[in-house]
Amino acid sequence: MRPSSHSLPHLPAFLERINTAAKKRVHTIQDYFTLAWNALRFIFARPFYAGDLVQQMDAIGVQSLGLVILTGFFTGAVLALQASVQLRTFGATIYIGRLVAGSVILELGPVLAGLMVAARVGSGIAAQLGSMKVTEQIDALNTLGTDPIKKLVTPRVLATLIMLPILTIINDAVGIFGGNVVAAVLLDVVPTPLYWRTVWEQIAAGGFSLRVIPNDFIQGLIKPLVFGGIISITACYFGLGTTGGTEGVGTSTTRTVVTASILILIVDYFLTQILLSVLGQ
Amino acid sequence: MADQPRDESLAPGGARDAPDAEAPAREPQAERRRDPAGTSDNARSPEPAQPRPRDEPMRPGQKFRAQDGDRTGRRDEDRRSGGHFRQAIREELASDRTAVRGRDANGDGVISEVIRLENVYLSFDRPILEDVSFSAHEGETIVVVGESGTGKSTTLKLILRLLVPDQGRVFIDGKDITGLSFNDALKERQKMGMVFQGAALFDSMSVFENIAYPLREHTEMTEEEIEARVREKLQFVDLDPDQVMPQLPSELSGGMKKRVGIARGMANNPEIMLYDEPTSGLDPLTTGTISRLIKKLQGELGVTSIVVSHDIRSSFFMASNIALLANRKICFFGTPEEMAASDDPYIRDFLGGL
Repeated sequence: MRPSSHSLPHLPAFLERINTAAKKRVHTIQDYFTLAWNALRFIFARPFYAGDLVQQMDAIGVQSLGLVILTGFFTGAVLALQASVQLRTFGATIYIGRLVAGSVILELGPVLAGLMVAARVGSGIAAQLGSMKVTEQIDALNTLGTDPIKKLVTPRVLATLIMLPILTIINDAVGIFGGNVVAAVLLDVVPTPLYWRTVWEQIAAGGFSLRVIPNDFIQGLIKPLVFGGIISITACYFGLGTTGGTEGVGTSTTRTVVTASILILIVDYFLTQILLSVLGQ
Repeated sequence: MADQPRDESLAPGGARDAPDAEAPAREPQAERRRDPAGTSDNARSPEPAQPRPRDEPMRPGQKFRAQDGDRTGRRDEDRRSGGHFRQAIREELASDRTAVRGRDANGDGVISEVIRLENVYLSFDRPILEDVSFSAHEGETIVVVGESGTGKSTTLKLILRLLVPDQGRVFIDGKDITGLSFNDALKERQKMGMVFQGAALFDSMSVFENIAYPLREHTEMTEEEIEARVREKLQFVDLDPDQVMPQLPSELSGGMKKRVGIARGMANNPEIMLYDEPTSGLDPLTTGTISRLIKKLQGELGVTSIVVSHDIRSSFFMASNIALLANRKICFFGTPEEMAASDDPYIRDFLGGL
């Protein structure tokens, strides 16, 4: 709200435009991280809106369950299908379990579950907060003495951080089971007990940290944690920044899903790099 | 009496309700249309002398033309001079206005200054307010009027500290709130109740939850006390508590939403009430109800109010002082009587235009 009032030397017109556009980008990123920081630190600040948290956990977690189960099952199933063809060249079809488990736990589970939840939950949060913004309900909250970040953003962020890893675990389990259904039952290239044995071999092959925690699980659970944060904060950022009436709500929703999805894919790469080097691979 | 038509509004030359002042002008026309065997002093006749206008549906392409005898809702004199409107203003000014004077609401023996804006400047991409100053005393109602987009709602947000001025200061109860932190400003707002333009009710909560919200946030009241207070406020705004409390905002009409918004704003018995266009988009009857409600709040509870309004008539009804915002400044601040008597061409335009 306070425009800067110091006088700067005048730049030529096109540089001025680039300057303004660049500043806008920087401000956007700054606002995004400010929102993220506030949302996270208010997890520990009073007042705690526990009722809202539980409600969001239901809306985000429990109600995304069907979606995640469906996605997971068919992902694992199609993986097994393709794998049976590819591995036949090497005569290695008994190792379908390793391929399915490895892909699902490390990448496909977190990323696909993340994208599905980004679409469903991200659009939902953005639309909800966007509608509240354009009908002045956010201002009303401020007027009634409630910090909208504490009441609206933090419960949603925390709920997503809790729920997405759980959803991913379910996704992974159903995916590997889907692979089992295709490989052992439909195509009959490997007997079921052998399938699950190879799955366990794959998990063990990644190594263990702290003696009992498989490294693959660490990768496969840190990713949903990060993705969950990205989804919820992006959704809240665009939702609370909605302008322009009902059309603005539509724009915010679209931008949320697109931005969150792209961020998930990009961050996935860099996160994998970091995790692989940290876990000593 | 039995042979007179039930619905006189369709009788041509409808001279019913013609007040005496207009009768001399009307009479000649009415005479012409009257049935020669005509009845009493009114120009009612069982058979119209001319075919009734609009008996036949209009043909496609036919233009509407008002004809003599059509009731267009305005008399010729009014259309030319805005006299009907001025008449309304005169009526408001002549009514009992003792209630709108400032009064000592908190009983400390002094009518103190509750709100003060001092040389406030504000701009977003373009300047919105330049050097705006005004003040409101206990028990007064200030109505802020002006053309759309002149920064009236922004003024309310400055008082609420939802916005920070670029220059200048805002005082509430003598305390400078301009430089306060977010959390301190949050506390200051407990003294104020705000009614938003669309009422801004939380649509995921019932009416009861909406009104109870400020009580739950800021007070330690028990559930019984909260319910009692919600009922009290709903009754104050003339709504039936049992019927309205379980409903969701989406099930309410516009007028009811506004009234619930007012109930929520006053739930905590604030000393300051702010209204953002409380009567816009409402039908005339509901507009009157809401205006009387605001005046009732002021009269019975001595609340200091700032009202942003487009409705000049109800502004005159409830204002102690009127602030006219134009060109980013307050170009008039004074009582409604002074405003009606002003010579300024812009003000005369503003009041005379409809």
